[in-house]
This record gives sequence, C-alpha cells and structure tokens, in this order.
Amino acid sequence: MPENEILEEILYNLKEINSKLDRLLSKGEIVPFSNEKLNVNSSLDVMMLLSLPDHLRTTATTLFEIGPATAEDIAEITRKERAVESNYLNQLVRMEHVEKYREGRKVYFHINSNMC
Amino acid sequence: MTFTIAVHSAKGGTGKTSISVNLAAAYALDGRNVCLLDMDVRGPSLRTFFKHDTSGIPFWVNDLLSGKRGINEVVVDVSGELGTNGKFLVGYSKADINEIRELASKDRKWQSNALKNIIIGKKELIRNGTDVIIFDTGPGVEYESINAVAASDIVLIVQSPTKACFDCTEQLVNGVYKSLNKKCAIVDNMHHCSVDGNVLQQKRYDIPVLVTIPCMCNIATRSQEILVLSDRGHVFSMAISCMKHKLESFQ
Repeated sequence: MPENEILEEILYNLKEINSKLDRLLSKGEIVPFSNEKLNVNSSLDVMMLLSLPDHLRTTATTLFEIGPATAEDIAEITRKERAVESNYLNQLVRMEHVEKYREGRKVYFHINSNMC
Repeated sequence: MTFTIAVHSAKGGTGKTSISVNLAAAYALDGRNVCLLDMDVRGPSLRTFFKHDTSGIPFWVNDLLSGKRGINEVVVDVSGELGTNGKFLVGYSKADINEIRELASKDRKWQSNALKNIIIGKKELIRNGTDVIIFDTGPGVEYESINAVAASDIVLIVQSPTKACFDCTEQLVNGVYKSLNKKCAIVDNMHHCSVDGNVLQQKRYDIPVLVTIPCMCNIATRSQEILVLSDRGHVFSMAISCMKHKLESFQ
C-alpha cells in the first residue's frame, strides 16, 4: 500500500476514534483521569498559560482570544487537525483549565472562570 | 486592519510611557484612530502628558480590568485637545495608593478574568473602527503587563543601554514573548552614541532593532511634552516617526 494511503487511513481512524471519545465524554461515560487533575485553585491565568507545554499553550491562548469555540474553530486558527485540537482541548478540560458544554450537535469549549 | 502594540521593557525607567504617548500621537496625527491604554496600573504616569483635568474622570482602566466597566466608559477622547486628524482615545489608570495596594493583592482568578476583559475591550475597539491600540505597560513580569503582552499582536521592547536591562530582556524574550508567539521589535532608548535615530545593531536576540534614540538632556527635561506634536523636527520625534513606519511594514 502506498505511503500516502497508509497515512490517510491512519488519519481516518484517528478521526473516528476521536469522535467516539467525544461522544463518550459528552455522555459522561468516561470519568476524567484524576491523576491529570491539577489543584482546583489554579486558574488559567497568563502565568499558568506560560507554564503549559507549547501545544496546549497555543490551544489555550487561541481559546482566550476567540472566546467559546468548537475544536473546529480552534483548528482553523492553529492550522492543525480538528481531531488534534479536540484532544488538546479535552486535556485542558481534564486539567480543569477549560470547560465544555453542548449546544445542539456541537461541543463548545471555554476558559474555566468558576474556579477558586 | 487593527493592530495592537504592547510597549514593554524588562526594567523601569526605559521611556516606555514617552514612546507610547508619542507613538500614539504620531498615528493619530496621520489620521489613524488610536486608543492608548495605561496598563502600568501599579505605577501610572500617563496622565502627566495630558493637560486636561483628570480628577473628574468617572472610570479607569482598573474598572475595565475588574470587569466593572466596558472599554467605551473608560476612555477619554483627547483628539480635540491635541488637534489630531484621527480619533485619539486614552484610558488612564487610577493613581491612588489604595487602589494600587488592592490590585497587588488580586488572585489568579481575578487576573485570568482581567485578561478576558482586556480581550473583550480590544474586540470592542476594533468594532468601533480603532486602527491602532497601544498598551503602555509596567516593567518586568507584573501580571497586568504580561496580560497586556498576551492581548497584543506586537511587543515593542524598549531597552536602555545597561547590562541589567539587556540580561533581563533576554529572559523575557525566551520566557514570555516567544512562549506567547508574539512578534517583537526592539527600540534602543537613551543610547549613549549620538546617532540621530539610526540603527546601530540590526538584530538582538534574533529580534529586529527598529530605531536607536540617543540619550539627550532635552528629551528628559521636556518629558511632559508630547514632542511629536510640539516639536516635529526634534530627534526624538523623527525617531518616533521612523518607528511608526517600520511598525506598519512589520505587520
């Protein structure tokens, strides 16, 4: 099988896995990993933003800039795959820096402002 | 297209406020709609450049940061007073020690919301047709300053020629500006060679040096004047004009 076809298949499978994970998370069937949680008193302020790894910082900074957004909205700006941004956003949700909510079929993310 | 500049430095006393005010005035003279905000909330000094009475100002940048007021209630239009072609809006910080003391005790949640409020204010200014937004910040890694840097498109780093300033700037470049993916430009201020605004060094920390402003007593003694308005032929005014053009092409 040619290399580009293999890559396309991998990408397709990743998207499938990601959308299934999104559905499970939105139904509450997956409990966030407790060992990834940070102290609930640590709001996502600019200093915390600076201490995040590069990939999460870019996602979080973009979310700060544009306000509530879907993974697709963020991906358009960061020029990454939607599935990748969805993964990063869900990491930020598990770290309690970001919250997610559903509106119709879309899942929106926003900076968590209800901490402390 | 609107662009937002945070005028920042590693150390204090580098001339950030003078450069911010004059740069804002230079853009407004050109017919651009400008908003200049005093983000040096722990050591506000922007008011000293403007002649009008600020005692009656109802709301301050402090109120914007806390979310009590929107940007339109916080800014004052000084274009009539200064005779600029474009609209020139200014937002002052409250120079009251109780206010400053209270700000120093704000927690991370407050600072997180302050960043959101700056971004909301910036979006409102863009909707209102503002062309250039300038944040005059405090030195170093103060929350309010780094919030302003995070909300900006370009960081204009003002450097004075001391080793301490150079060393601290390098830390900021690597630990803040690059981490936040900001475009940066350097202004060498109070330089000890008389170079009439020419650049002595093209790049530092891989960041372009836009202009070099010589150290001149008659810049310091006229520190409450907006020189681009009162003395357009002054070396400082010409350096500001050069900076303005370079920042435009920097976009």
